[in-house]
Amino acid sequence: MTGRLLEWLDHRTGYRSLRRHLLEEPLPKGTGWAFTTGSAVMFLLGIQLVTGIGLTMYYVPAPLLAYDSVRYITDTLAYGWLLRGLHYWGSTFIVLAAAIHMLRVFFFGSFKAPREVTWITGVVLFLLILAFSLSGYLLPWDQKAYWATTVTINIARSSPVIGEYLADVMRGGSHLGALTLGRWYSAHVFLLPAALILFVVAHIALMRRHGISGPIKVQPGPPLPFYPWHAIKDTVVMAAVFALLVTLAMIWPAHLDEIANPADASYVPRPDWYFLSLFELLKYFPGPFEPLATQVIPGLIVGFFMALPFLDRGGDRRPFSRGRLPVTLAVLIIGGGIVALTMKGLIDSPAKYDPNDWGPRAIAGHQLVTAPDNKCATCHVSGGSAAALAITRITKDEEWLLSHMADPVAIAPGVRSEGDPAPPPHMTRFQSQSVIAYLRRIRAGATPPQLEEGDRQAANTFSNMCAGCHKIAGEGGESAPDLSHVGLRRDAAGIKRIIRDPTTEFPDTMMPPYGERLSEEQIDALVQYLSKRQAGG
Amino acid sequence: MAAAVAFVVGATTLAPSFTRRDTGWLRAAALDALPDNQPVPVTLRVTRQDGYSQVVDRTVVYLVRTGDQEVRAMHSTCTHLGCRTAYDRKSKQILCPCHGGVFDVQGNVVSGPPPAPLATLATRVENGDVMVQI
Repeated sequence: MTGRLLEWLDHRTGYRSLRRHLLEEPLPKGTGWAFTTGSAVMFLLGIQLVTGIGLTMYYVPAPLLAYDSVRYITDTLAYGWLLRGLHYWGSTFIVLAAAIHMLRVFFFGSFKAPREVTWITGVVLFLLILAFSLSGYLLPWDQKAYWATTVTINIARSSPVIGEYLADVMRGGSHLGALTLGRWYSAHVFLLPAALILFVVAHIALMRRHGISGPIKVQPGPPLPFYPWHAIKDTVVMAAVFALLVTLAMIWPAHLDEIANPADASYVPRPDWYFLSLFELLKYFPGPFEPLATQVIPGLIVGFFMALPFLDRGGDRRPFSRGRLPVTLAVLIIGGGIVALTMKGLIDSPAKYDPNDWGPRAIAGHQLVTAPDNKCATCHVSGGSAAALAITRITKDEEWLLSHMADPVAIAPGVRSEGDPAPPPHMTRFQSQSVIAYLRRIRAGATPPQLEEGDRQAANTFSNMCAGCHKIAGEGGESAPDLSHVGLRRDAAGIKRIIRDPTTEFPDTMMPPYGERLSEEQIDALVQYLSKRQAGG
Repeated sequence: MAAAVAFVVGATTLAPSFTRRDTGWLRAAALDALPDNQPVPVTLRVTRQDGYSQVVDRTVVYLVRTGDQEVRAMHSTCTHLGCRTAYDRKSKQILCPCHGGVFDVQGNVVSGPPPAPLATLATRVENGDVMVQI
């Protein structure tokens, strides 16, 4: 019965001949493991496509919601962290696998006639993969997304003549915002996949048309069919790649910074590793020479790879043969340059910001909003007129929030008049800033730490007396040194001396002595806390 | 038909890119609060239409008092690749964290890759308040 049904299906569709065409491709004898790199790239493209579809079910391409939807995928959705982790690591894997595949094709001389067009479609595919990575950056709308995209658009803006127009089109206006996110999302999920599928089909069709190039040294003997001899190797490689991908996604899940904040000067933007070499290159080309780094050099490299089959035309496929040596050296120099710049970029990268590092301001804010007599709970409570603070998502800017916390009844800053004066503030400005720090940390997905009484007291003291000038974990003033890692620079005795009377160490300091203003207990708690702040360098 | 569809899709894609925004005057600070010849970063709340939504941009500008009634206002955006610069009190210079661009307190390039000085904004002093055009 089944046999007759399949017979009928084959008669109508011809699927058996398609299967034969796909599986029985004759491969030259000696086609070994080196020829599995293309399958690994294809496999990873499939992973990206499927995990990408999964992500679009939850992702919302609008600022604020974009961040919250990615936060939801990462923190709340069952296995969402793994879905995003696979997509995130998949993008790194795919760049690596594509680069390895290109190098394999180059060193085996597989791009030579009659496979020139196959190679060119491959170079286009590599550029498409980079475009995917670039457009995928912006989508989470976190600090990294915002600043990396700002830099990318400004690179385009430095193009001669059309630069400004190009930047305007990429942004969808004069500012990076909702319209930018919309068009980059559209490119990432519709435009680029369409182009990718087109070129993948062309690449594979051309590969089949000319056949696999096989080993450099032709081995005598009849060709072997793709299935099962080579299919087994492909499957083993894919399984190994997948195992590594899942392992990395589980050990180091995809990170999400704090929400994009265009006014934050403390964030040091760095792109992912595959654009780090370009980012580093920019440091060496000041002023008018900038387009050399942003356009000319990358353009020449792409042009060189596009033209490779026509520059390296001899029949000899051995990479270090006399005829091929100049081109091989050029590829090695380009590759070495990219690796060296990437390494330099990795070394120069600042320490990663740790979202779980609750600075004293956030800790003080947490204590304020969980205290039994806290005023926020008048409205911000389950069943109340506003969402409980632990699940509140900040949608207003800092000035609005500060005004709201001082005078919660007023609907916006500055609306009070002489006839309707503001009541005494519900909180001091320092307290309000602490609550904002708490809300930011909650939004960044971090759970409040369990702390000893001494650290809690230190956090309160720091927030009320020190945070106006000093910063810890990204929160606080900028007029005095950042104390995030002060424990590395000074011991407890030194810190205590400075708190009591800073002129003993810094005769010209603006900082007042706190020996009289704080109790001995407060100073001791503060010294204990500050001397423990060492991690991160 | 292809041309018509291309026109509609192309026009809707490009239209927002070439819509210019009006500028307006905003109060930035009290003149008396500004020290002489030292950049003070001020966060301005600029309300603007962002496609389908209205947003409040928090734009940081440096105000430098250059005379009795004169204030220079500069964008804090680095002219190299658009990162946010920060004033370093120790070296009395404005530094960019991305590619090491260095500007003096007047916004002129001292070293590094920035191709131009920090962009200046029009200012005027009105009843002791510094107004900035943005």
